[in-house]
Amino acid sequence: MAELRIDGLDFTRGDFHLQLPPLRVATGEKLAILGENGSGKSTLLQLLTGLLDGKEQIYYDQQLLTQIPTIERARIFALLPQQAQVIFPFSVFEVVLFGRFAQTDGRNPQENDRVQTRLLLDQLDLTHLAERSFNQLSGGEQRRVMLARALNQQAQILFLDEPNASLDVRHSLDIFQFLKQTTQTVISPVHDINLAANFFERFWLLKNGQLLADVSHDELTNELLSETFDVQVSNTAGNFSFSR
Amino acid sequence: MKPLLFTLLGIAFIIALFSGATAINPFAMSNIEQEILLSLRLPRVLFSAVIGGMLALSGSVYQLTLKNPLADSFTTGTASSAALGAVLGIACGLPVPLVPVLALITGLCGLMMVYRLSINDGVINPVTMILAGVVVNIVASAVISFSKFYFEESLSSIVFWLMGGFFIVDWTRLIVCALLLAISFVLLQRIGLQLNLLAFDEASARTMGIDVARLRRFSFVLATLLVAVAVSHTGIIGFVGLITPHVARSLYGSDMKRNLTASTLLGALLLMLADAGARSIIPGGAELPVGIITALLGGVFFLYLLRTRRERLWHG
Repeated sequence: MAELRIDGLDFTRGDFHLQLPPLRVATGEKLAILGENGSGKSTLLQLLTGLLDGKEQIYYDQQLLTQIPTIERARIFALLPQQAQVIFPFSVFEVVLFGRFAQTDGRNPQENDRVQTRLLLDQLDLTHLAERSFNQLSGGEQRRVMLARALNQQAQILFLDEPNASLDVRHSLDIFQFLKQTTQTVISPVHDINLAANFFERFWLLKNGQLLADVSHDELTNELLSETFDVQVSNTAGNFSFSR
Repeated sequence: MKPLLFTLLGIAFIIALFSGATAINPFAMSNIEQEILLSLRLPRVLFSAVIGGMLALSGSVYQLTLKNPLADSFTTGTASSAALGAVLGIACGLPVPLVPVLALITGLCGLMMVYRLSINDGVINPVTMILAGVVVNIVASAVISFSKFYFEESLSSIVFWLMGGFFIVDWTRLIVCALLLAISFVLLQRIGLQLNLLAFDEASARTMGIDVARLRRFSFVLATLLVAVAVSHTGIIGFVGLITPHVARSLYGSDMKRNLTASTLLGALLLMLADAGARSIIPGGAELPVGIITALLGGVFFLYLLRTRRERLWHG
């Protein structure tokens, strides 16, 4: 399994500046990244997945990210970007099956890949959409299919950029429950703080490109959240509420 | 999928072989008729099939790599910039085998110009792409017309380049083009699975395990090579690469391996029939440039796509 190590990170684009101290994420950890819009959450994911080149030192299991071949990276981590899309009317099953690309080493998918894909569709309540054209689905359905596609990579680390964006409450809960139970590492910017608090165990609070805090579930206090989001925070029975 | 397509292809081949100014009865051929059939019509029909396959294959690749349902060698301006290179090469007295090389270079320049103009933050704006393609097309066509008129004072050669057709056919050209088509087809088939992943957004594709930049570069060069060689021999024949990938997709699904095959075969079919039409429409043995027929068909198809895909074109 893969451990993620960041040996300090320093990235500048225009007048945006992202700076992180040395950090480690152990195998299987469930890490939520919290922060305002523009605090650097998505940029951080792009740096960690090698989509953006910086001077950063990012290691997966002692291996420098920039030295890992593209197809090998896809076995170490999968990414669900915010704006995932696919042109052409591929079927849902095809889209999810494409996730197997790295696992089959770029060869034609075999029967066991199809079985695995069907299983995953079933787990994510997508079987009834399998033969539908991806582009004809609703936004929430597309999101779940793209999530299934990322999960089907069976990578050791999942970077999921707001996995529950445009999902209804039932499917949000199902997805987070699913992620909580997997053995994979999950690193995920999440906007719904209460959902994040319920399902994640570690939190990075980002503000203006700086890491404000790296805390466990119990250390996620009203004060910290208040400072991160510039709002009033109160907590009743484990639920945060927010006001200006 | 294969039996139906190959049957249709066979029928189109027979139709094309027996269309033309001279009516030939296959069961009672004179020596002259046999000669016409074997040394004039046969290479021409095969040539139109091969060129159709080349243009369609390139169109299938362009639509994928540019993420635009309206992309083909004509709408991206690639064909006219390649033609410009070919015209300049011929005007400068370049040896014949080097003409397609210059066409490839100018074709790639035109394509890259359109690509860079329409891409912003990794996302290609389809409308900007078409507009940029139109502009490249107009400028390249103007330069072609100017140089042809200036150097040769001949209007017919302008028509040759801008409204392409099969005016010069011989076995050498045919074999060169057929070889190129076969090699490109095999190369593209081998990376068919990776090409499928190019249909995803860049972030998804890259983290799924493909080197997007390298794959796109390879596809651009190969598709443009097909266009450059085709254009150097026949001038600009537009829209074959626009129509066929769509028809192939609606018949056989979006998978690129199947789409490459079906597009190529349909391109061959379409151009064989279009050329048969071009040879028979005008009475008395005169020939229409086949580009006129494909432009008519393609223009109508383009309008249809604009109408059905309008929403998605504007809103991505």
